Amino acid sequence: MSRRSTRFRPAFILGALALPVTALATDAARNFRASVEPLLAKYCLDCHGGGIRKGGVSLDELGSDAEVVRRHDVWFAVLKNVRAGLMPPLEDGAARPTPAEIDTLSRWIKYEAFGIDPLDPDPGRVAPRRLNRVEYRNTIRDLMGHDFNSEVEFPPDDSGNGFDNNGEVLTISPLLLEKYLAAAEAIVEKAVPKVGRVVRERVASGREFRAEGGGGTGDQLNARRAMTVSRNFTVEQADRYQVIMELETRGTFDFDGSRCRLIGRIDGEEKFNELVVWSERRPLRREFEVEWQPGRKTISFEVVPLPSVGEGAAAEARPQSAPGPTSVTMRVNSVTVRGPLSERHWIAPENHGRFFPGPLVGADLGERDRRAAELLRAFATRAFRRPVDDSTVERLGFIARQVYAQPGRTFEEGVGRAMMAVLASPRFLFRVEESDPAAPSGPYAPLDEWSLASRLSYFLWSSMPDEELFALAGRGELRRNLRAQVDRMVRDPKAQGLVRNFTGQWLQARDVESIPINARVVLGPGARPNRDGRVEFDGVFRRLMRAETEAYFEHVLREDRSLLELVDSDYAFLNARLAEHYGVPGVEGDELRKVTLPPGSPRGGVITQGTVLAVTSNPTRTSPVKRGVFILDNILGTPPPPAPPDVPDLEEARKEFQGREPKLSEMLAAHRSNKLCHSCHSRMDPLGLALENFNALGGWRDTDARQPIDPAGMLITGERFADVRELKRVIARERAADVYRCFTEKLFTYALGRGVEHFDSHTIEAITRRLLDGGGKASIALLGIIESPAFQRRRAAPAGQALSMAPPPVP
Amino acid sequence: MKKPSFPVVARASDAAVTRRRFLRGVGACLSLPLFETALRGAPAAAGGGPGLATTSTGAPLRMAFVYFPNGAHQDNWWPTGEGAGFQLGRTMEPLAPLKGSIQVLGGLDHKNATAGNDGAGDHARANATFLTGERARKTDSTDIRVGISVDQVVAQRLGDVTRFPSLELSCDAVRKSGRCDSGYSCAYQYNLSWASPGTPVAPEPNPRLVFERLFGSGAPGERQRNLELRQRTQKSLLDFVLDDAKALQRQLGGRDRDKLDEYLTGVREIERRIARTERFGALPQPGMETPVGIPSDYGEHMDLMYDLLALSFETDSTRVATLLLAGDGSNKAYPQIGIPEGHHYCSHHRNDADLMDKIARIDRYYMERFARFLGRLEAKKDVDGRSVLHNSMIVYGCGNSDGNRHTHHNLPIVLAGAGGGTLNPGRHVRLGGQPMSNLFLGMIDRMGVNGVTRIGDSSGRIAGV
Repeated sequence: MSRRSTRFRPAFILGALALPVTALATDAARNFRASVEPLLAKYCLDCHGGGIRKGGVSLDELGSDAEVVRRHDVWFAVLKNVRAGLMPPLEDGAARPTPAEIDTLSRWIKYEAFGIDPLDPDPGRVAPRRLNRVEYRNTIRDLMGHDFNSEVEFPPDDSGNGFDNNGEVLTISPLLLEKYLAAAEAIVEKAVPKVGRVVRERVASGREFRAEGGGGTGDQLNARRAMTVSRNFTVEQADRYQVIMELETRGTFDFDGSRCRLIGRIDGEEKFNELVVWSERRPLRREFEVEWQPGRKTISFEVVPLPSVGEGAAAEARPQSAPGPTSVTMRVNSVTVRGPLSERHWIAPENHGRFFPGPLVGADLGERDRRAAELLRAFATRAFRRPVDDSTVERLGFIARQVYAQPGRTFEEGVGRAMMAVLASPRFLFRVEESDPAAPSGPYAPLDEWSLASRLSYFLWSSMPDEELFALAGRGELRRNLRAQVDRMVRDPKAQGLVRNFTGQWLQARDVESIPINARVVLGPGARPNRDGRVEFDGVFRRLMRAETEAYFEHVLREDRSLLELVDSDYAFLNARLAEHYGVPGVEGDELRKVTLPPGSPRGGVITQGTVLAVTSNPTRTSPVKRGVFILDNILGTPPPPAPPDVPDLEEARKEFQGREPKLSEMLAAHRSNKLCHSCHSRMDPLGLALENFNALGGWRDTDARQPIDPAGMLITGERFADVRELKRVIARERAADVYRCFTEKLFTYALGRGVEHFDSHTIEAITRRLLDGGGKASIALLGIIESPAFQRRRAAPAGQALSMAPPPVP
Repeated sequence: MKKPSFPVVARASDAAVTRRRFLRGVGACLSLPLFETALRGAPAAAGGGPGLATTSTGAPLRMAFVYFPNGAHQDNWWPTGEGAGFQLGRTMEPLAPLKGSIQVLGGLDHKNATAGNDGAGDHARANATFLTGERARKTDSTDIRVGISVDQVVAQRLGDVTRFPSLELSCDAVRKSGRCDSGYSCAYQYNLSWASPGTPVAPEPNPRLVFERLFGSGAPGERQRNLELRQRTQKSLLDFVLDDAKALQRQLGGRDRDKLDEYLTGVREIERRIARTERFGALPQPGMETPVGIPSDYGEHMDLMYDLLALSFETDSTRVATLLLAGDGSNKAYPQIGIPEGHHYCSHHRNDADLMDKIARIDRYYMERFARFLGRLEAKKDVDGRSVLHNSMIVYGCGNSDGNRHTHHNLPIVLAGAGGGTLNPGRHVRLGGQPMSNLFLGMIDRMGVNGVTRIGDSSGRIAGV
């Protein structure tokens, strides 16, 4: 047993990694003493030194010099807090570190403590990623031309670091594998034809059968109304044809005496004549074979009402054909015309060319084997997203042959069976990456172009690469054409994959479709009912909100706008219903479109969209705390630590109000006065309270519980704002670097399927810097991530590992 | 290939280490029951022994674990009085007709769900620790790890006794996006069952899919044939995917191989399932129509899942099951009982009388559904003439005790059923502060699984349940 789990030998790993950087580490320790320690003494040690451990952090008890340098967790936290201006805390009269001092500290942390080589940083470990439900569905769509509803058939995926495309947590259980096998079978059954040629089939629905003069259709016939409905079919060949008529008659539970005759005709010739009386649902199916010459053929159905039975004198008096309510109804479900029936006229079934391009394969086994190998090589190459070796093709061919070599089984059935094997293979279900074989040996290596094509396509499309990406990767030209390809991919409609899945999780826009919000309670007694006459947060409105957030992000992405417009802008994507909800006048119609907002409108930017405001609310009321946390976590990138386990009883605070029901903001103020709560709540509450002008459905309000709302506040970094409009402006202007960094980190996490690690600090900072210098254009973040070593490279595989699919030598 | 030799593994969480190593070594020998070997410390034949999951009368013995979220309102939960002369509280009133078939257990703790050095995240830990007794590694993604859960310890040993070693069900079909609880991966909050310390067993939320898995798909007359056809097709694919997985595993290094271990375990399980199907013959008749999908009403969803769980026991399709009604921290609203606020919001009632009343009503709503399920099991006669409930051990509980303060001692636990006569129901038992895992250990013994000396933080077995 040569390979053992290394997970339980952390000491060994650390030792191995530390060896080549010993010299560096010594420098790092020296520089720590010379330039970092004095800064810590000046700004930090009052609270985090000399035995004082505020927040459980002490910076003068980190051990020996060598140990100090290795405390990546501590330095990563220091870096995040200092660059966001959270530490040292803003206090009257306290000295602030200068930009130069912050630079000294962060440079030491990044390049010495972390030892990041800006030209060759650690690209991190990207675990083999199982396709998640969305990626599976999209990949099947692009590979098979079939829509498989994975959201119903597969259990939900777990997520990590806020996204469900995280390789570490995308596990595979026996149940899931069982489902993958069943799905492979079901998909091939549905998508891949089983024969080479079939009789042409035309199916017309009942609705296509119309009465002359437009008085009715074949799906709505009843026993009291005389009517003839018909439809024409044009045939080109003189041959035999088959006509299949599928109808049904039905009555409701209560007896109804209406009766009629139902007559079916082909070109005027009566083919059946049935008495229809009240009954439960009864299918009526008739098949006829006809000899037809080329030309137009008419198929018709006629209803001839008869006198009713069992209705007494009143009904007797009624004329036979008087239209009246009756539950005796009939409908034409479908009429199928099959033919020409002679084999020489047969045609290729739907999708045959997609899976079996080229001439029809005969019965000769040798020919079948050759063609199967050819088709399966091409199919497996696309499905596995990289070329496959001969042994794979042979093994697939074997599966196909086992089927098509049997008497009565077709070539297509055999190849289809092998395709099932491809769809159940771990090489389809997992994205396994490889290094460029031409790369020089070293700890990190460039991805090979096939892996790069998949990283790009799953990032931007949530799906497999297309022919163009495959072709470039095959020629080794993808890297050289990277920018042009990214540009093309962002313009492609499939980029909706990124828009939908990234905003769905980053902004939690997905959740608006399911979050429990009670519209009756939120809107109060004066609320206007919707089209169904109910006061509710209905599905249509929820999806509309989600579509708004997606359209907004898509605009910033495709038009390459500044990322700051995600926070603050003078436009929104609205239709009449949303505009009315938001109080924006002059928007008509159902279509969602870009609308320039009136001056002073609080809308514009994601923070004041219905999605964000709803998903951060409780079912009956807003939650300023949740909203504050949302902005800190997802817009500013400075999430507060989670609440301590034992939150003090607010009943104590309630006593201050002497029986009066305090406002939510007063309760929160009482909360902040508690020392334990203060440090975090003074960061989140002002942000959340600034949004108190929006109810739990995102509608505007001036009062809450008849009390005026006071949205004014201050960021923890000192910037003041009077209301939400100013808050957005302050964030976009004063905290732009935080916004850029936060967005970059979220997109980076999504792109790579792993969390941001300390060794990514240089990459993230460099992109943030470029965004600051380049007007925040979305493409800077997108390309910055795609061109970063983290995206382009990988930790090289351990030496001596076999890449071929051949079995290993027997020891 | 040398035969690996292992010591008797005492801690369930170590089993996967040896399993993984074992798997790598074994390679092609997939027909061997790997977990079992690792757990028993000696090679075992596939299939269960005679004493496995069987009562003294020869009837099947089952175990199930049902999780409700966010703790219970303490004053309304706990009965008054001890022993057989106890009075049910407001929450448990729906259990009154079944009082003789349940034990209310007080004083069981999950100390590994407490904050310890890990800080916030009590909901994630409550969920992750509940059936594992282990401390969840605090991570948002990298190297998720807790321990093997009690149901899986038993399921992996029961192997081929029934068509399915275990069932994992959930009524939580829609998940929150973004981050879950306080730096813990969502995997901890949405899974109860863990096949190995790093591999959760994703539960099935869709009643239709549960039904079709148990009883086949298609019209009632076609199900047997559909299953046979499907399994024949699957058999023809397994060699290929197995070779692929093994080749990939050689290609990958380090922890990446774990992913392929999971896949290989899955292939092996399917092979065994096909073998079982052939051995068990005709599919059982459920006497129930195929459910359409997930009902929009949460109460109906719970009832349907309970029905399927009951059916799986009544037809002896499995003897081990878990049902996650909702992940801990769930903020579902209950308009059907007049509570529009979210559950999690209400659970942090801060001693507000209105919220405390609401949380008690939610607790009771859950209890009504559970009582209905127990009633069904009580009414169903087993092969030995006793009720299915008599021949079961059903744990109903939560990994949080007081949802307001996030405590993990004195957990709200009901143990229903008589375990085939090995339990002594009809009592309120105060156990005075011992690990919940001790209860699990006793249940593992009763299931006839030998050689497990510890699970999670267990310190022994509980006397007198």
